[in-house]
Amino acid sequence: MIFRAVEDADLIQKARQGDVEGFNLLISRWEKRVFNYLLRILRNREDALDLSQDVFLKAHQNLRKLEDNTRFAAWLFRIAHNEAYSLLRKRRPETEPETEERSEQAITMGGSAVFPIELSIAVSSALGRLTAEQREAVVLKIYQGFKFEEMAEILSCPVSTVKSRLYAALELLKADLSPLKVRGAV
Amino acid sequence: MSCSPFDLRDYFFGELAEEDRQQVDLHSRSCLTCREELNRLRSTQAALLAVADEEIPQRIGFVSDRVYEPSRLLRWWRGFWGSAPRLGFASAAMLSVAIIVAAVHRPAVVIPTAPAASVDVAKLQADFSRQLNEAVQKAVAESDARHEQLLAAAARRFDSERRADIERVSQNFAILDKYVRRDMRAAIQEAR
Repeated sequence: MIFRAVEDADLIQKARQGDVEGFNLLISRWEKRVFNYLLRILRNREDALDLSQDVFLKAHQNLRKLEDNTRFAAWLFRIAHNEAYSLLRKRRPETEPETEERSEQAITMGGSAVFPIELSIAVSSALGRLTAEQREAVVLKIYQGFKFEEMAEILSCPVSTVKSRLYAALELLKADLSPLKVRGAV
Repeated sequence: MSCSPFDLRDYFFGELAEEDRQQVDLHSRSCLTCREELNRLRSTQAALLAVADEEIPQRIGFVSDRVYEPSRLLRWWRGFWGSAPRLGFASAAMLSVAIIVAAVHRPAVVIPTAPAASVDVAKLQADFSRQLNEAVQKAVAESDARHEQLLAAAARRFDSERRADIERVSQNFAILDKYVRRDMRAAIQEAR
């Protein structure tokens, strides 16, 4: 991870000097992570792909504003977060980004092992019942592996708020997902 | 409610300091409740991670067009200007080189000694005095010449006027003599 950060810093430096290929290489390293982050937030592939392109365009335009090259990941995901919430606000101007009601119908598989496709549906359904803020906290921590401090930087809120959102989400997810066992996987 | 000395979720996510983590390790070995809670967290995380990341359907990339891409020189120049420390160092280096070059190639300055300076001053003073004397003498000579000319002209005018006066007096005397002689002759004739 340290070598990765060092290499990213080199690529950022090259990109700052106008090296397009350097920035393309930087994109290739991060595009999958950014796309999946946006996909789990927006729950729409086309929007996630469009916004991924916008995120990297903005990153390229504002690369000179990045003060610490080693914090590129948090900076990039901060842009992605802003883009996602900007889109969600446009789509739902009068409500919070996610107002999906938590269904009282929990996913129950009776303790028996489930197939991956069933688990995928169960996970998607469980994540869908979280608020957008809770889901984003889960995505950043579980799927993207950010530290609490980095999450606070991305979400522009205190670490205590980040933990509060994440742990509230975990309580809900535990109830839905911890009884599940996927065949051959978990 | 967990009986762990620290938040089990912080422990689970690797957000505890090493010393705190070791304490939770020790505690969870002997605490069934905390072990079960950790197992639930692991199961939940495993279930979430079972849904793997999707491949991006379309690769993102910027076109590397040579027409629009800046040249290597321009990229170097942008990079050079974009780095304040490097620019500062380069400026300081250039200034140092300029100072050294100026010091090496600067012509030696001849500092005049004090005696040489005094000789020059004396010479200048002598020249100045000589020129001043010459100018004064010339002016006096010219003035004297002008006065001589004026005096000569005045003398000539006076002489001519004196001659004219003498001539007029002579003429008057001649006329008077003529009349006196005539009157005397008349008187003599009357007396006779």
